[in-house]
Amino acid sequence: MKNILLVLIICMLLTNCDLTKEKSNTPEEKPKTVDGISFDKTKDDPNFKLCNSYVYQYFNDSKGLIYKGDKPKIEEAFFNQYNSEIVPKETGLIRIRFTVNCKGEADRFRLLGMDNDYNELVFDKKITDQLLNITKSLKGWGVKELREKSIDYYQYLIFIINDGIITKILP
Amino acid sequence: MRLFIFIFFFVSVSISYSQGNCNAFLWQKDTLKYKACQLIENNQDKFYQFDSRFHKLMNEALEICPYYAYPYRELAAPYVKSGNFLMWKKYIDKAVKYEPKDHLSVRASLRFKFFADFKGAIKDIDSLSSIVSYDIGYSSNGTYHLNVVKGLCLKSLGRTDEAIAIIAKQSEIEDDFGMYNYLHLGVLYMEKEDYKNALDSFEKQSNINNLAENQYYAALSNKNLNNLTKALSFLKEALKLYRSEQRMFDPYNELIDQIYMSDITREIKSIEENIK
Repeated sequence: MKNILLVLIICMLLTNCDLTKEKSNTPEEKPKTVDGISFDKTKDDPNFKLCNSYVYQYFNDSKGLIYKGDKPKIEEAFFNQYNSEIVPKETGLIRIRFTVNCKGEADRFRLLGMDNDYNELVFDKKITDQLLNITKSLKGWGVKELREKSIDYYQYLIFIINDGIITKILP
Repeated sequence: MRLFIFIFFFVSVSISYSQGNCNAFLWQKDTLKYKACQLIENNQDKFYQFDSRFHKLMNEALEICPYYAYPYRELAAPYVKSGNFLMWKKYIDKAVKYEPKDHLSVRASLRFKFFADFKGAIKDIDSLSSIVSYDIGYSSNGTYHLNVVKGLCLKSLGRTDEAIAIIAKQSEIEDDFGMYNYLHLGVLYMEKEDYKNALDSFEKQSNINNLAENQYYAALSNKNLNNLTKALSFLKEALKLYRSEQRMFDPYNELIDQIYMSDITREIKSIEENIK
């Protein structure tokens, strides 16, 4: 309990997850979000619906990543299903960012890659297709609430890839 | 008392994390920086970091003073939190360029925390050490002293002995101030199969900030020493602490040596089967 309290104090003081500022950004005002994800009919499921007009960040409720079975379940899915034997030996980081709606459904997946020097890198599709497909198959995303209302939120996973092998998954 | 010290410390960190008093720039006869600082000071609280209007404000400040590091750091902030390594790096590099003494520590902490860029973090910490004569200070969110960050980076790169040396030294300096120092130290000793020092460290951690983690790793140490009954007792305590949310936690990402409920229950099951 003490730890949770401390973390909350840190967050509030450093404004890293300061929700008071969010008050000026009520959903009705629809402010444009930095690094936001808009619907793209060429990539996204048209049946995927957001419940609100404002999409929060996964840490805005101060609870972090929430997944059924916690992060080990996410790691289990990737380490069991990803096949590194059929991919080129590329190295760097891949981010898959997506939106989770108020029912815990995920869509609007977006890819971003870099090499170890922070230069943009488009990884081979044999790597990214596998990561995308496994990410899309994850069904345990938590339903998050703020001020007693279910929210939509952005979540991401970062894969650290070394010679085509996943060595770590963040956050 | 400890809680009070933590609060005092984080208030101090939070103050040092803001852009500071704009009048200081006037005294330095830097009117451009003063004007940019004033613009931010008068408007920053109106918007959340992820709001495009916040970014517009920071860019306006940079139009007034293109060499002001603070707006670059603020532009970088939401990108690190959304995992956008490319945009974050673009902005944080500018902040480091214009105020390296203030921002090398930020870049080091965030490389470590958000992107597991252990080599890059060590490089930034060493660069900072080479240009300042004072204590290099704490990570940008205040969780760790930068020496401990460096130690955790060394650990992650497999340089266990160096990690032990630096974290042990810093833990002695900080005594009961470090939130997780003795836990990390204990796990490092465990990795070296030095269970005596590991258990001593977990005991120190439990006196400072008792967590499910130090009980869990104390259990693993006892298991490795074949003290299964003792191990089970530590695991049950770990389970109790975990359920009462007395455990490592960060709203952004998993911490090094953090455990989950499934880790504890798996070990309990395994030991109970061995005791039978």
